[in-house]
Amino acid sequence: MLPQLLIGGLGTGCIYALVGLGFTLVYRGMAMVNFAQGQVFMAGTFLGLYLARDLGVPAIPLLILVPAISFVAGALLEKLVFRRLYHSHEVFVVGAIGLGVMIENFVRALFPEPLPFPKIFGSGVYRFIPGVLFQKTYLWIVVITLILVLMLHIMFTYTRRGRALRAVAADAEIAGTMGVSVPRAIGLTFGLSFAVASIAGVLIGPLYFVSPDMGDMVGLKAFSAAVLGGINSIVGTIIGGILLGVIEATAAFYISTDYKDVFAFAILMLMLVVRPHGLLGRVVPVKV
Amino acid sequence: MVWTLAFAVFAFLPMVGGDYLLQIGAFVAIQSIAVIGLGLLTGFAGRISLAQGALYGIGAYTTAILVTELGVPPLAALPAAIAMAVLVGTVLGSPAIRLSGLYFVMSTIGLQQIVWIVLIHWSGLTGGPQGIRGIPPLSVAGFAFDSPARFYLAALFGSAVSFFLARRVVASRFGLFLRAVSDDELSSATAGVHVVRTKILALALSSGWAGAAGFLHAFFLRFVHPDMFSLELSVVDLTMAMFGGYRSLDGMLLSSILLGSASEYLRPFGQFRLVVYGFILLLTMMVAPRGILAAAGALLRRR
Repeated sequence: MLPQLLIGGLGTGCIYALVGLGFTLVYRGMAMVNFAQGQVFMAGTFLGLYLARDLGVPAIPLLILVPAISFVAGALLEKLVFRRLYHSHEVFVVGAIGLGVMIENFVRALFPEPLPFPKIFGSGVYRFIPGVLFQKTYLWIVVITLILVLMLHIMFTYTRRGRALRAVAADAEIAGTMGVSVPRAIGLTFGLSFAVASIAGVLIGPLYFVSPDMGDMVGLKAFSAAVLGGINSIVGTIIGGILLGVIEATAAFYISTDYKDVFAFAILMLMLVVRPHGLLGRVVPVKV
Repeated sequence: MVWTLAFAVFAFLPMVGGDYLLQIGAFVAIQSIAVIGLGLLTGFAGRISLAQGALYGIGAYTTAILVTELGVPPLAALPAAIAMAVLVGTVLGSPAIRLSGLYFVMSTIGLQQIVWIVLIHWSGLTGGPQGIRGIPPLSVAGFAFDSPARFYLAALFGSAVSFFLARRVVASRFGLFLRAVSDDELSSATAGVHVVRTKILALALSSGWAGAAGFLHAFFLRFVHPDMFSLELSVVDLTMAMFGGYRSLDGMLLSSILLGSASEYLRPFGQFRLVVYGFILLLTMMVAPRGILAAAGALLRRR
């Protein structure tokens, strides 16, 4: 039973990791938490649903098109909305929640009923290990997550733009004096955070019926995962996401299905008290 | 003085409004208690919480269980509801209150979700997804607040008491500590303010206010359900506390009225009602980060 649970956990864990990355990117850049992240993820699913079901876009173009559109949306929203919320973290939290309410209810007005998502990744099952089923969709989730993480890693480590983003995350003021365009870097950060969350939305679509409130719980759990791994660390968030997915799957089986959702939040509270920077996060000293 | 008058005016609402309006009025009055409580923490101690809905729910469930299962007289459930909310709020909240502001918000989300999940799944105690039905009307010394008009007046009274009590707290020496801590923890500590104790006390007070709101809520529909106290309620409470005004109890009262009745006057927007609601929140935070009252004040001064 355990290998099967691990595969399920790995699949959901990758989703938490991708949505969590959206939190991490914004947190690193701005020290703000964008609580509309779960709704962005959900909007990605519905955008995918529209493109795949009504326009017949196949899997791979869909995985390029949806994040591209979301990237533009994120960068645009940063310019129009988020930029005016940097007043303080309280204002940002409430403003972002307001945006989340808008997105969720707008989608609900368009798609009031839960809908099946087209099986864009096929519905086959692999049996790499006897007795253990590996759904095709899960394979896609894991492979795409790996590719994305690799791409992000390459971008942040080897490209000029990636280094600029890291410089802004470390110290926006100094980066600005060194010639990095800070507003552009922040726009890029929001664009990226929207893009990764929307890919997660497309990946998870075929597994369930999709509904406008699907982002609420996933968003909060992805957030817990980010805190677990370290909300200012990209690697930490990915490990935190996968860890949380696996913990949830095994705990639901061995401890209690009813209280499956409690674990993520208990971990969240515990981590914040014991180790607020997460498993892999860096401690940022507070300057007076 | 102005607010005493305002509460007195609102007391005449039953003479002009129908039952439906009174229901909304009662709802707004109950909400305002939780919002003012949260305001003590948010506006004055500088710690924003997304767990007010959960603590409110604990007050409501404590009341419902005591009154239906144990046959406790309604009014006797009030101290229990407050005590339970304070207990849960401080025990689960205070480890995190030392953390910086943003980390505290994060941990309150955990608290909110855990309480909500436990309310749903601990069926033996809470009735689980069925909720608790058959709560008797609120009654004091044999007088039952059983009609919408009577209950509205009781809720309004509760709201007024909580408001004037909160004003006393804010005006006290402790209120001064609160403002000092939220302005600058380090310098208030050097000036002799016990920072952690002040913050924990603020958390306890705000939880107590939530418990009192929950107590009234149990008698409002005379039915409690876990989904009434989900993250959504916490978000509503927090936005009301932020929308009205930074450090302004008057503003919080005003925003409870404006946002608490929003579902009514936004009705013409049909299914886009909540989209408009979200937009109002977002826009207010963008143009008036210190709340509508502060923005209105600034606008008036500019004239």
